[in-house]
Amino acid sequence: MAGQKPPSDPRKDDAPPPPQDAGAGWLAISYLIGGMLVWGGIGWLVDHWIGTKGIAMGIGAVIGGAAGVYLIVRRLGA
Amino acid sequence: MTGQTIVLADTPFPPTVEDFYPPSIAPWGEQSYWFTKITLLVWLSVAILIIYFLVSYRKPQLVPTKKQWLAESIYGFVRNNIAVDMIGREGVRFAPYLASLFCFIFVMNLWGIIPFFQISPNSHIAFPIVLALISWVLFIYLGFKKHGAGYLKFALVPPAPWFILPILVPIEFFSNFIVRPFSLAVRLFANMFAGHMLLLVFTLGGFAMINSNVLLAPISILSWAMTIALTFLDFAVIALQAYVFTVLTASYIQGSLAEGH
Repeated sequence: MAGQKPPSDPRKDDAPPPPQDAGAGWLAISYLIGGMLVWGGIGWLVDHWIGTKGIAMGIGAVIGGAAGVYLIVRRLGA
Repeated sequence: MTGQTIVLADTPFPPTVEDFYPPSIAPWGEQSYWFTKITLLVWLSVAILIIYFLVSYRKPQLVPTKKQWLAESIYGFVRNNIAVDMIGREGVRFAPYLASLFCFIFVMNLWGIIPFFQISPNSHIAFPIVLALISWVLFIYLGFKKHGAGYLKFALVPPAPWFILPILVPIEFFSNFIVRPFSLAVRLFANMFAGHMLLLVFTLGGFAMINSNVLLAPISILSWAMTIALTFLDFAVIALQAYVFTVLTASYIQGSLAEGH
């Protein structure tokens, strides 16, 4: 037992920097939902302001969804 | 037996949100929410963690004792597998915060399945909100410290042509500064709330069935067996949620410290 070595668990102090996409999944989801919520919400306000019944909210949600996809591509894509 | 049946007869079903507000256990004063089982469990969690780590590290040995081994394993796990893996070399200086966060959330969640306590303080959203706010302030502070005022541009302005930016910047703001703390808090709270509610439904449901008709007794027993199985499932959820909260905090810290896109 005397010559037994302790388990060599590396301390990882000299580890290489982690990949940038750690947590990318959560980021993608929050962009998708966030895009639709933000611009859908702004569209909802516009609806209230000019008295339409949801057309601006619909357009906003579509634009927001598209912008969310675009953001995912720019931030997480190649 | 009869006495027991009478008590069981007024078992309320279904469980409500009121079940999450145990009565005051302070021996003085009128009934209020200032000192309840929840309060007690929070103080107990803090005390257990402080005392356990103090005792385990009081006389550190080269060949660790069992206590010391466990404490070192927990810290080593958070340090190597969360802090360093997510943040990189710089992550070592956040390991103490992340390890405290992990242990605190884990112990707080664990009260949900410990017999005679069986409710997690984290099933009250106030506690996850405060924890999420601490992480939120931390990663914003680190971002400003690292990038100066340029952090706002770094966090809000994605690499894109200028004419799309007005559409993208609100989404970035929403996703980075509002969704992050909100989802951290709600994810933890909802898991603990649902876990407690599920156990209540199966336990009280068993009583409700056996009280309405004795022929339903086998199903009641099945329901209680399910409670035991669900308790084990809840343990998995408890460990997972403590881990997820810590990993996401580390990921946000990493995002604030990153050099560029």
